[in-house]
Amino acid sequence: MSKILIAEDEVLMLKALEFKLKKDGYQIDVAADGRQAMEKVKSNTYDLILTDIMMPFVGGMEILSYIKNDPVKKITPVILLSAVGLENIVLEGFALGAEDFVYKPFNLNELSVRIKRYIKQNVF
Amino acid sequence: MSFFNPAFTYIREIFTERLPYFPANIRACLFIILFCVVAIVELYIYIALRRINQYKKKSQEKKWKAHIHNMLANLVIYDESDDTDEIIEHFFPRLQKLPLHIPIVKKILITEILTYHKNFIGKPAELLSLLYVKLHLDQRSREKVKNKNWEVKIEGIREANEMEVGEMADDIIKYTDDENALLRMEAQAAYIKLSPKDPFRFLDRAQERILDWHQLVLFEIITKDKKLQIPSFSKWLRSSNDTVVMLCLKLIDHFMQFDAAEEVERLLKHHNTKIVKKAIEIIGKLELESAEKHMFEVYFDQPLEIKTEILNAIGRISSGRYSDFLSSRIYSDNYKIKREALYAIKRSADLGEAKLREIYRQTSLENQAIINHVLDSRIKS
Repeated sequence: MSKILIAEDEVLMLKALEFKLKKDGYQIDVAADGRQAMEKVKSNTYDLILTDIMMPFVGGMEILSYIKNDPVKKITPVILLSAVGLENIVLEGFALGAEDFVYKPFNLNELSVRIKRYIKQNVF
Repeated sequence: MSFFNPAFTYIREIFTERLPYFPANIRACLFIILFCVVAIVELYIYIALRRINQYKKKSQEKKWKAHIHNMLANLVIYDESDDTDEIIEHFFPRLQKLPLHIPIVKKILITEILTYHKNFIGKPAELLSLLYVKLHLDQRSREKVKNKNWEVKIEGIREANEMEVGEMADDIIKYTDDENALLRMEAQAAYIKLSPKDPFRFLDRAQERILDWHQLVLFEIITKDKKLQIPSFSKWLRSSNDTVVMLCLKLIDHFMQFDAAEEVERLLKHHNTKIVKKAIEIIGKLELESAEKHMFEVYFDQPLEIKTEILNAIGRISSGRYSDFLSSRIYSDNYKIKREALYAIKRSADLGEAKLREIYRQTSLENQAIINHVLDSRIKS
């Protein structure tokens, strides 16, 4: 069973994402802020990381940067979630190595398909 | 206790037996001290009770929040292919069982539904909108819109807008021309979304100004909403409200509405130079050849910024009919006019650059420098 980390500071969103991805058959780990997410990333291995950009303590970009600079973890696909689709933020995310960028509001089913694709790609 | 007993006895004696023997000022001081002590004790009791109450409220809020979070999180995970009616039938009785008569529960439910609706599109948003109305939560938004306080009204309008409660459009239209700019803006933005049959009716009655930043907001809403039926905005170009005319010109420009050509040309004689400038810009973009003659007629009475815009538009239309007029602008005293006229000549389909080279041979050194600048393909006009 593929393991996914969801890092999101908005409780309601976190719960919805958790429920949806559990329904899709993934093993889910959650982090309610950036610091928690960073600790989990450092001590665990995930098949995919879904992180919000704006979080307290540590931002999603910092988490992304840590993952992509780690020789072992850098193959983990990272999807960034954001309420702001500013061009420079998107470009920065992709430059740091993010696999995808999802803007709020988004379609949960579409996100689920994207996740499935990245996990499949990573397996083969 | 034995330690405090003599102290209590002493204080009691002061206020009972010894009080009449004290001078008046000491008696007054003692009463003030007594009053302060009683007040402080009361204050502490009040603070303690308030804290207990707040704690109770918070724990109640936490309990209901967790419950509502779980219910809503279960609701939004359905697939697009799932039957909407079936999902509603499953969740409606459960949500109805919530004690919505308790204000805090109702508030949490509304806030969380709004949050989800803001963050998700597709099936979840559709389900949430349906449940919002079915649970009569729109009633609270309606009450808010009718509130005397404008901030509460705005809150109600935002809720209706977010949840797409179309039935509230008629309640909202009266605020689209309110003297309060913030309320006016929220009402206009909501009305466009909530009144799909006639989303721009508010422009017919708009007497108050639509501020520049507000025009930007409306422009974004109108141009990004794919479901919106776009009318011909030329019908508002005769409005007495200049800001309505300006907004419509921007929209005519964006949607390239050629049917508005005649009305746009009429605006060349408008009293507001900003509107004249925008009208000329549109004439240039839409390459309205019929307007060339009218622009030429008004050219000489216009301020510099309009003159340069007219030269630019004639250049974009590049019919060639006014090439002599453009060439004669090289004798103007103003650099901007010379430059704009030369760029306009350059834009003339095939002969533009040849014409510039011909002028180059016959003109002054200063003009030759400007022509060199215009002919340089590395420099954008």
